[in-house]
Amino acid sequence: MGLATEVAGIAFKNPVLTASGTFGYGREAAELYDLSLLGGVMVKGVSREPWSGNPPIRIARAPGGMLNAIGLQNPGLDHFLTVDLPFLRQYDTRVIVNVVGHDEEGFLAVVRGVDGQSGVAAIELNISCPNVADGLLFSQDPDRAAGLVARVRQATSLPLIVKISPNVTDPVALGRACAEAGADSLSAINTVLGMAIDVVRRRPVIANRTGGLSGPAVKPVGLRIVYDLARSLDIPVIGMGGIESGRDALEYLMAGARAVAVGTAVFRDPLAPPRIIGELERELEAAGFASVGEAWAAANPDAKRRTQDA
Amino acid sequence: MRPQDVRVVERLQPAPDCVELVLEFPEDEEPEPGQFYMLSAGDGRDTYLPRPLSFFRTFSPRRMSFLFRIVGPGTAALGQLRARDRLQAMGPLGHGFPLPERPLRAVLVGGGVGVPPLWSLGRALRQRGCDVTALIGARTRSGLLGQSELQGLGIEVRTATDDGSRGYHGPVTDLLEDMEADAVFACGPEPMLRAVQAFAERRPLQDTYLALEAAMACGYGVCLGCAVERSSPDPELGPYGIYARVCREGPVFRWDEVKL
Repeated sequence: MGLATEVAGIAFKNPVLTASGTFGYGREAAELYDLSLLGGVMVKGVSREPWSGNPPIRIARAPGGMLNAIGLQNPGLDHFLTVDLPFLRQYDTRVIVNVVGHDEEGFLAVVRGVDGQSGVAAIELNISCPNVADGLLFSQDPDRAAGLVARVRQATSLPLIVKISPNVTDPVALGRACAEAGADSLSAINTVLGMAIDVVRRRPVIANRTGGLSGPAVKPVGLRIVYDLARSLDIPVIGMGGIESGRDALEYLMAGARAVAVGTAVFRDPLAPPRIIGELERELEAAGFASVGEAWAAANPDAKRRTQDA
Repeated sequence: MRPQDVRVVERLQPAPDCVELVLEFPEDEEPEPGQFYMLSAGDGRDTYLPRPLSFFRTFSPRRMSFLFRIVGPGTAALGQLRARDRLQAMGPLGHGFPLPERPLRAVLVGGGVGVPPLWSLGRALRQRGCDVTALIGARTRSGLLGQSELQGLGIEVRTATDDGSRGYHGPVTDLLEDMEADAVFACGPEPMLRAVQAFAERRPLQDTYLALEAAMACGYGVCLGCAVERSSPDPELGPYGIYARVCREGPVFRWDEVKL
């Protein structure tokens, strides 16, 4: 069974990655299994300076998932380059650096810092975090997103992935603007804005008031957006949102994703990523596909037609 | 730490809204007092996230129990389990209580469902020759948990209830004032822990340790959901150091390490 896949010129041994913000920088999961099993690791968002994140309570339960408002707590670029990246270099897996910033200069500083470092396969621009004050700033306006992507494009030759928000009216317009500005790939979806109410305390459960919904509950939203991006745009999509089985991963591939990322599932099952790799192999076979490439967009004829026309 | 498939051996109901599940692990476990496990039951539809719970009693290297109050869908799913049912247990997780090198006078303070981690701690302290007293509090007498189990370890137990239905009428931490203690170990609701912090500062008693509870998604350090504010953050870490993870740096902290 051919599990290998390629996204934006990056060769992955298999299409299963870990999603940013649910995996730290790999250290904890490495206590449980060999990270070299993974197709890739999308690390926790890295900012120019260390960020504190939001005050607690940061987590709320939700049917079929959860809400979070961590607020991109991270130790900053220097720590990432001197401690976390060297740790990840020990493993034979593709490291994708998720980059966050409060403004264009903040994003660019991290991109410049990461550019040229060995062991970095790609950059994922996180313009879609709903849990920091200006997290969605660049997503609300395709022109603004394009402006940032164009400047980042100038600053690095690394493959550039832009993480798409589901909290916009037209994710395809946002994705198109990013593609035209030089993005090599899109990842979708980030979390879906939501809220939980504490009846006893008479206030939202989460201190930030709103949080991002993730888990199986958002899978239909993720599939829809991945499908639309794949049929409308020529750049490859990495699909994520509620994947907790090989079957879920296959559905994303068939919708038009070239690779997938496992996020919230690792909270319930820390071994989910390697488990899903094994399950996907069996699911592909059971569905009659000889490779990931064969399964790609099998349920999305418009996306297939685009590649044939191209 | 590792995820394991465990089996329910017995289900006990020590109070109307409380359940004690005795679980059989596939391999020998050696959790430290104060460490916890993430337990998940059901298919994840009603409650996706696993539930962090400190273990209560240990019966053999593979057999231990978890005592909890049914407060929401997560604990309800666990509370519905019966003998022979299976569930996932990920652990042991976090850092437990520091154990003294020499025998000393130790006081345990437990509020409501904060009592469970004190049982294994009390046993470890007794094995080290410590003189141990437990102070147990609850809103009302039916919520007083673990009393006979602690007494079974040769520990003197004093009780307090908010409504005066048993023992001292008032907060359990009031009972600390009369105690001669070299070390205090506490687990319970936040107002109780704040009162223990105030006691430690007043007395002063540096060897006062708190086991915290927090909303948690993963339990093993990756989600950063269970943040607690540090009293004196490491300046090297900048703003990143403001919060510690209850699951990884805790759940046990010395009284002056965290702001509650």
